[in-house]
Amino acid sequence: MTAATVTLTVNGKAVTAAVEPRTHLADFLREQLLLTGTRLGCEHGVCGACTVEIDGQIARACIIFAIACDGAEVRTIEGFDDDPVMARLRQAFTQEHALQCGYCTPGMLIAARDIATRLPEADEARVRVELAGNLCRCTGYAGIVAAVRRVLEERRAAGEAGVSAPSPAVVRGPAAPIPRPAVVAPTVPGMTSAGPDAGMTTLAQSFVVRHPRARVWAMFEDVERVAACMPGAALTEPPRDGHLVGRIAIKLGPMGATFAGAATLALDQAAYRGIIEGSGRDQRSATRAKGRIAYRLIEQGDGATRVEIEVAFALAGPLAQFSRAGIVTDLAGRLTAAFAENLQAQLDAEASGQAAPAPLEAKLDAGGLLFSVLWARLKALFGRS
Amino acid sequence: MKPARFDYARPASLGEAVALLGTRGTVVKCLAGGQSLGPMLNLRLVQPDLLVDITRIPELTRVEEDGDGVLLGACTTHAAIEDGRVPDVTGGVLPAVAQGIAYRAVRSRGTIGGSLAHADPAADWITCLTALGAEIVVHGPSGRRELAVAEFMRGGFETALEADEILEAVRVPRLGAGARWGYYKVNRKPGEFAHAIGAVLHDPERGVCRAVAGATESRPIVIEDASRLVARSDRAAVVELLREGGLGADAYSLQIHAVALERAIRTLS
Repeated sequence: MTAATVTLTVNGKAVTAAVEPRTHLADFLREQLLLTGTRLGCEHGVCGACTVEIDGQIARACIIFAIACDGAEVRTIEGFDDDPVMARLRQAFTQEHALQCGYCTPGMLIAARDIATRLPEADEARVRVELAGNLCRCTGYAGIVAAVRRVLEERRAAGEAGVSAPSPAVVRGPAAPIPRPAVVAPTVPGMTSAGPDAGMTTLAQSFVVRHPRARVWAMFEDVERVAACMPGAALTEPPRDGHLVGRIAIKLGPMGATFAGAATLALDQAAYRGIIEGSGRDQRSATRAKGRIAYRLIEQGDGATRVEIEVAFALAGPLAQFSRAGIVTDLAGRLTAAFAENLQAQLDAEASGQAAPAPLEAKLDAGGLLFSVLWARLKALFGRS
Repeated sequence: MKPARFDYARPASLGEAVALLGTRGTVVKCLAGGQSLGPMLNLRLVQPDLLVDITRIPELTRVEEDGDGVLLGACTTHAAIEDGRVPDVTGGVLPAVAQGIAYRAVRSRGTIGGSLAHADPAADWITCLTALGAEIVVHGPSGRRELAVAEFMRGGFETALEADEILEAVRVPRLGAGARWGYYKVNRKPGEFAHAIGAVLHDPERGVCRAVAGATESRPIVIEDASRLVARSDRAAVVELLREGGLGADAYSLQIHAVALERAIRTLS
């Protein structure tokens, strides 16, 4: 975490400086080199305000670390003062009223110059597609598109056009509006004491274990053993009168979180049903989750038992603005499979009088409920495909 | 919007990088173009102890063409593919798909290997390369192994990579002379994450007629023999195949993916 030394060229001048590894290029340019023409808008690679040139190619300075630019040639908006194409673009931006507040303009100009030089034959459709990575909240883009086209035409008329730029060969985007997704709300009859709360996402899973219902039920009454079958879950205190305290750790690709919280368990032995209701919080992301897991054991014949599970959950906090059912279902499916396998192994061991095997570690677990939200949020925020 | 503190290493060789990834007791992440990891770091969704910058490792930027196809080092950028700065053995498929990824300022840094290793279901390469029948070369402590792209992704953000393995390269097969390709991506705005992707490869010379539904919530759905669908449009059959592939009973999801696949088939050229 100590500062490292980075050597690079900025606007033609050699620069050597000490940087923290986590300092992104835009902060380095603005705070250490005082080149404040590079703007920070979203600061996570969506808005394009921080667009600069690195080794002759446009890039987003907010999601590139300064230390990773060791040896690179960086050019910011200040470095284009004497550039003839940029001079034309500045004039065209003025003529076409391509800015109002001006905040997006440095990034917009650098992106526009990339279009003018890289795609000299670009038509209006192509210009619009290429500008899609730079957001402007004032102009409605009409003036910006007109300015870029004006410069393209000037350059073509002056015989400065180089390589041709065919329109995208790949068909993009639907011609007609896409219908909004339907909310999936699976229901298992008789599973829930009340209907799912408004705003909660619900999903249903079921699996079969090859043991009689009474034996499976006895297992379910032993909360600590059941919790051990759930990948990533652990009780941090012994259960007392149906009160549970514990945590569930989650991992999805590069992301990880741990929800700590409390729950209550209500058992209905006559109906072979149980309901766990609880809530928890992930300290790192400050995301709160609450949820309910209802389960029911059904005799299958041949001494087997079907376990039906219905989950309802909701998230609150900074990460809870979006939700998507699909990835939750996918993850919950894998979680349930791992849980079922662990449960089966525990019951097998019990029936044969052997020591219980160590539960399987599953890479994925109820993190689906957090990460579907993160994922959807990232999806909405980052224009990346 | 500032990442949590981390250490940074820039190894010069694959062996060195693999050794760093194997550091026990710490969270270590590979950094390639950083176009997905960078935002996650800024939002502190990912808080590694150490970032291993793999972009200066010569093996990861090498490109080798032979009669069978092309081997693209993991750190080959989308822009290099878009611009034709690396050999294309697919008759234009790779450059066209590359051009549709995010925005130019992202394509200039983002890498083919990084996209695959990140395993975002909505990404283009995982679907495109599955349809092309490409292979992935993985480098780990005990050497190299290869596996099909279709086997590589295990689920959303989950791959067959072990913690101390690096995706070294992608091997893309050379398509036959009469190969036809169709690709259709549904997104609301150019460069945004895809809501559905359809890809289809009809390569009679090599006996391939494969369709892939991508941008699911998990791994892409592969229809290994799509010749019936290519011969005649049949919505019900497409929906049934997607359902069998595990797309789920969500009517919207089935519809949008079926349409993407149908439009991909229609664009076969």
